[in-house]
Amino acid sequence: MDKNFKEEFRQIIKFEPPLYKQRHQFVKDLVEKYKPKKVADLGCADCSLLWMLKFCSCIEVLAGLDICANVMREKMHTLSPLPVDYLQPSERSLTVTLHHGSVAHKDPCMLGFDLVTCIELIEHLEESELKKFPEVVFGFMAPSIVVISTPNSEFNCLLPRVTLYRHPDHKFEWSQAEFQSWALETARCYNYSVEFTGVGHPPTGMEKVGFCTQIGVFFRKYPQTGESLQSEKPMEAVYKTVFKAVYPSLKDEKYLQNAVISEVIFTAQIIKHRLMSKYEEYSDNPERKSKFQLSMDCFSDYLGKLVVEKNMEPFVSGNEVYIPLRTIFSFPKVNRLCGTFEKLCKLIAGKVTLSSDGSAVMFNIEHENEEN
Amino acid sequence: TIGLQVSSGLQDLSLRDRGGRRRDFHDLGVNTRQAMVHVQESKTGFSGKIIKLTTNHFRLTSRPQWALYQYHVCYSPEMEARRLRSALLFQHEETIGKTHAFDGSILFLPKKLENKVTELFSRTRNGEDVKITVTLTNELPPTSPTCLQFYNIIFRRLLKMLNLQQIGRNYYNPSDPVSIPNHRLMVWLGFTSSILQYEENIMLCADVSHKVLRGETVLDTMHSLHSQVGEERFRDACAKELIGLIVLTKYNNRTYRIDDIDWDNNPKSTFRKSDGSEMSFVEYYKKQYNIEISDWMQPVLISQMKRKRGNIQGSVALIPELCSLTGLTDKMRNDFNMMKDLAIHTRLPPEQRQRELGRLLNYIQKDDNVQKELRNWGLSFDNKSVSFTGRIVQGEKIFQSGAMFDYNPQFADWTKETRGVPLIRSMPMDSWLLIYTRRNYDVANTLLQSLFKVTPSMGIHMNRPSMIEVDDRTEAYLRVLQQRVTSDINIVVCILSSSRKDKYDAIKKYLCTDFPIPSQCVLARTLSKPQTIMTVATKIALQMNCKMGGELWSVEIPLKQVMIVGIDCYHDTVSGKQSIAGFVASLNQSVTRWFSRCVVQSRGQELVDGIKTCLQAALRHWSKWNKSLPSRIFVYRDGVGDGQLNTLVNYEVPQFLDCLKSIGTDYSPRLTVIVVKKRVGARFFAEIGGGLRNPPPGTVVDTVVTRPEWYDFFVVSQTVKNGCVAPTHYNVIYDTSQLKPDHVQRLTYKLCHMYYNWSGIIRVPAPCQYAHKLAFLVGQSIHREPSIMLSDRLYYL
Repeated sequence: MDKNFKEEFRQIIKFEPPLYKQRHQFVKDLVEKYKPKKVADLGCADCSLLWMLKFCSCIEVLAGLDICANVMREKMHTLSPLPVDYLQPSERSLTVTLHHGSVAHKDPCMLGFDLVTCIELIEHLEESELKKFPEVVFGFMAPSIVVISTPNSEFNCLLPRVTLYRHPDHKFEWSQAEFQSWALETARCYNYSVEFTGVGHPPTGMEKVGFCTQIGVFFRKYPQTGESLQSEKPMEAVYKTVFKAVYPSLKDEKYLQNAVISEVIFTAQIIKHRLMSKYEEYSDNPERKSKFQLSMDCFSDYLGKLVVEKNMEPFVSGNEVYIPLRTIFSFPKVNRLCGTFEKLCKLIAGKVTLSSDGSAVMFNIEHENEEN
Repeated sequence: TIGLQVSSGLQDLSLRDRGGRRRDFHDLGVNTRQAMVHVQESKTGFSGKIIKLTTNHFRLTSRPQWALYQYHVCYSPEMEARRLRSALLFQHEETIGKTHAFDGSILFLPKKLENKVTELFSRTRNGEDVKITVTLTNELPPTSPTCLQFYNIIFRRLLKMLNLQQIGRNYYNPSDPVSIPNHRLMVWLGFTSSILQYEENIMLCADVSHKVLRGETVLDTMHSLHSQVGEERFRDACAKELIGLIVLTKYNNRTYRIDDIDWDNNPKSTFRKSDGSEMSFVEYYKKQYNIEISDWMQPVLISQMKRKRGNIQGSVALIPELCSLTGLTDKMRNDFNMMKDLAIHTRLPPEQRQRELGRLLNYIQKDDNVQKELRNWGLSFDNKSVSFTGRIVQGEKIFQSGAMFDYNPQFADWTKETRGVPLIRSMPMDSWLLIYTRRNYDVANTLLQSLFKVTPSMGIHMNRPSMIEVDDRTEAYLRVLQQRVTSDINIVVCILSSSRKDKYDAIKKYLCTDFPIPSQCVLARTLSKPQTIMTVATKIALQMNCKMGGELWSVEIPLKQVMIVGIDCYHDTVSGKQSIAGFVASLNQSVTRWFSRCVVQSRGQELVDGIKTCLQAALRHWSKWNKSLPSRIFVYRDGVGDGQLNTLVNYEVPQFLDCLKSIGTDYSPRLTVIVVKKRVGARFFAEIGGGLRNPPPGTVVDTVVTRPEWYDFFVVSQTVKNGCVAPTHYNVIYDTSQLKPDHVQRLTYKLCHMYYNWSGIIRVPAPCQYAHKLAFLVGQSIHREPSIMLSDRLYYL
């Protein structure tokens, strides 16, 4: 291609959004579509793809693998839970792990994944590593989906600054034909199907060079063989874990219990507050003072409760206010957290002051008045 | 002139912590001691009984001949992005080593590179060749200010490695929170840390810190406010409750201050992204973080960016649903039950506090990664805190109308001792008003009866007041004041049925500015308990007496012709518009009468001009009272924030001197300026009987944990029932008094006995507390300078 022609494209070839973002978006779209629970990113580098994926609510296990521990360490703290994750634990559980190791080695921690992504990875592999790579990823890890992206060397003539390879560490860059034949052969060998696509469209008139980044999406053709196969080959761990974060989740009893106790007491406080303000209005009338009940209707819409049953009314007796657990359970938030009434009782047992028969939350109000 | 010198190496220091702020919180470069010849040799006192103390400071040790090497890194062609600059540089780890700290242009290494200038070549992803030049600019000894800043950054790195979460300036442990479900609060235990050059060593000062977080979003709070106050007052209520609060977001690890609420926008509104494209918040959060915003009607929160990029001062829009609240609101602070529940978890007694700290140090010693990082830099920490001795200075004698009392040093309180003793100067209540609502008629009578019982022994002559019943409305109170207050009234007493601020504010405003008369507001509730009514009435009688110009007790002040000044500031956090400086100055030899002024100024204005006027007025009054000008002036300056010392030394002190000069050419009094700081990280523990206790009041510390470049000392003057006592830090930044440090310390402690609203020792010298009270009253309720007619009385108590 002559120099002038190249110059012309220097202006044109600027991807918007940038190419790396398009690659990440591609993976994200795939995750949205297939909803994998366990995702591993091989060659995760600065963890930016993992960081993006941690917000995908279907994912429960995220793992990253890189040959360079330092580059992972640089940004790995972005994968830690945020303060808010502790304050409002999410419904889903999420564990993020970073491993230091090579894609040429097998480690049992990589088993059982649904999606494995290798974004701009293979071109960094030495010949010997590239040889072992299919067996490790397709043969050993054997996830349902594998995504592999790599530069398309045919596009390089449009990139003005590229002389040999796009990055000094690249060991090779393949043409479309080279990549596709490698991919088809790999897919055939390990019983996968493969679809080719890419990101970074070529300029009009240059369509034949193909995408700037070529992508192969591999689907496993056979169903998961299950644990049996894996347990046959017990093996040693060769990767080193450099980071692990377990996100607080309501699936964890500890967080669920905290959330339930907090919600129960808070709900009970609201009911008590309402009850007491009514009670004070009535309290001038001594006949009604001893035992006072309040119809639930007056605050049911505000609190948005589900059902009103008999014997669910909160009441004041002496210096104590009783809020039946049934009433508290009927509030949507409590209900959703616990699921069943029995679970509610079990979770708050010993943590919340209850009436002697255990059917109601009890507050002492005498104590409070003294302080004010 | 003032001896200020910013140590070399600090001005051009740009190693940045997260957030890129460059504020010098520790006032590192301000060396004030070198200008004070009389404390060059020693700044320690001598009087009192020796006490063995330990503290929360831990020595930092570095290996011998340790130095930090500072390099300048530049790129050719120039690279803009900091991340890219780092990535390119660290391609050469074999040359520069694995241990480094780099902020994009300055590189710190624990070892010296072979050559003074090292050239490295990298290639970007785009295949661009870049030449990196690394030039040695400085070889820093362990005590250089740059090194200190560097240690602090490294220590923060360690805390991060320990998986502690940074919130604001401190680090917290999220994995083991204390939840207080009654109030929907969560308390995280964490640590504050700073590494500084102290008297003899570089030390880590670490303290336990608690972060109160709330298990609800800003939107939750808005919903509950809406149900509490209704539609009409909703927006006002939101502004009052939320503005000024710090929030955490769901999607990043940053804190923001809510500065405004934008009701005209909602999550469907669009904003301009940095690339110029428009996008709605709903789309943005979905795309960027996969977060679905469920409520599309909520307003948008506005947070001003403190940090200026270039010259643009930007603001950030936040979605209430995605923000969690931190900290306490004023409303919560006033909630007695809540504060009591919180105190159980946050007020740790000395033993427990040290134990928690020990745990942090233990983590540091045990964590491999942390140890490796420290080793690589050639640093380590002692795991035992430093021990040293302090002095307990002698307790003061309290004088009241010829009688003399000692107080029990353990309680630091003389309420019992002085009960039933005539006051030094009692003001008659010949003509006064008692205003109450119908509901509080009984309470008003109870108060009156009790006052009649307690006042005679104090020597207060009291007539029956005009009893006035009003409706429980602000306007009703005001109308009565307008009709009934005349200039011969000694004092107005109002009984209020609730602690609602508007009524109190209106009364105070009228009686401080429109018709200046001392006033006393009493909450009906405090009078409703028969068992405490006499105590309450005694306190009210004393307070009223001070407000009318009375004097209660005194301590011996050996200095003659001395004027003591106290200054404190109040910053209006809600509207953020005003700052108020309270200024008080003593008028007599026994330091029992005080002159006061205050300065109200809008944001951004410097305090000093106003203070100059105050000082002039104070001197005029002093000379009127004493028929001469004071020959010594002591200024106790409170309300100085971290990092503001420089401003104080450079601008405020010269203004004081200017002001004194302007009085007359032959007038040159001795001036001492002392900066008072209540919020300090240092804690002291007395080693008593094998355990740790709070040191008793009167404990003075002027070695080991003080700073070599300052003439400073700590005094523990108050006692606390729960938790750890906080020492007050005094920094003498200017002193021509020629007094020995011991005398300055003693005078300071004496003044902590002189606050008339508390028959005991308080945490700061009385003038500071008076100035605080005045600034608070004006800032909270009056919003303009009170009438000059009241300026010789403690009307603001």
